[in-house]
Amino acid sequence: MNRLFLLIVTTLFCVSASGHHSFPAQYDINQSVTLNGVVTEVQWTNPHIFIMMNVENEDSGDTEEWTLELGGPNTLLRLGWKRNDLKPGDVIEVDGSLARNGSPLVNAESIIMEATGRRMLAGSSRNDN
Amino acid sequence: MIKQIIFFCFSVLISNQLAAQWIGYPTTDVPRSKDGSVDMRAPAPRLPDGKPDLSGIWISDNTPVDEPSPSDPFSLPSGRLMTNMGAEMEGGLPYQDWLIPIVARHTENLAIEDPHIRCLPDNFLRAYGLPHMLKFVHKDELMIVLNEMNVGYRQVFIDGRDLPEDPSPSWQGYSSARWEGDTLMIETIGVRDGTWIDWNGSQIGEQARIIEEITRPDYGHLDIKVTVDDPVAYTRPWSVNLRERIVVDGELIDEVCLENERFVEHMNLEY
Repeated sequence: MNRLFLLIVTTLFCVSASGHHSFPAQYDINQSVTLNGVVTEVQWTNPHIFIMMNVENEDSGDTEEWTLELGGPNTLLRLGWKRNDLKPGDVIEVDGSLARNGSPLVNAESIIMEATGRRMLAGSSRNDN
Repeated sequence: MIKQIIFFCFSVLISNQLAAQWIGYPTTDVPRSKDGSVDMRAPAPRLPDGKPDLSGIWISDNTPVDEPSPSDPFSLPSGRLMTNMGAEMEGGLPYQDWLIPIVARHTENLAIEDPHIRCLPDNFLRAYGLPHMLKFVHKDELMIVLNEMNVGYRQVFIDGRDLPEDPSPSWQGYSSARWEGDTLMIETIGVRDGTWIDWNGSQIGEQARIIEEITRPDYGHLDIKVTVDDPVAYTRPWSVNLRERIVVDGELIDEVCLENERFVEHMNLEY
């Protein structure tokens, strides 16, 4: 049982990353953001998983479509994800880094599923280069 | 008794889930300490001919010298020299004059011209430092290195063959190896011009001759001394020391980059 516990703890806390692209070229590590919204689409693909979500702009009340970039499937599977963990309609909170070009694009570091309170690391490549 | 049955059922359930993904599937013949942890300092396994067996799944090891390396398949760091292969070299890599502005441009523009970003294969030197698992399958006269990134492979022949004359350039080059004691000496030629070896865009090319001296000092580690002799790209031969650590209870999971690569689109670049 101790080994199982160790496996779970290790899975939750070890930093695993997907080093496909040049993180600093695309994202600003100093521009952190937290988004709350509803998942509209999940692309469980290589080399990065993309999640589209609707986020209500607190100032205007408008609904904005944001794209989240995560690590690849191998990274997330090793972090304990299952490919159907996120589905359209799920409510989530995301912490991540904003895209440098001002587009509604975020490199996700962690995601909290509102229904369960479960927090999952997202395989960000922010520390890779 | 009921508790034991519940625990057994729970364990079977969990292990079936893990086995279904081959994450957590137990690696065979792993030396373990009394507490069940992997004994990374146990003797290296050997082939039937007595030479060290380099087989295993490997990933860059950035563990500080005074700390034990992990063995798990979850923490996948980038190598300490992945950004700059010459980071620990006084004065850095000895680039020829023509290469200096090219590397400066690659460094300045944050590697947006990187072949890796455009889903092209990584040369083995770079693969040692990227956070993707490498699987060595080592037999007496051949070692195959599988790279989960882009379903890559490399062949290292240990059958005494000569290197080819005037080889057609390739992504991994042509590798022939021999043993010197317990060190596998791999000689490689025939890589392509413009082959990136780090994020800064340092390069090797067709004239490069690369020597890897690989030892397995214990069960958990590979030490790899790399010497690059490329008179077109560098003013003198140079060497670096790389270290990999074993991954147990894990398996390769492929990452085919072209499936849905969107970096170029997001950056408004062109292929």
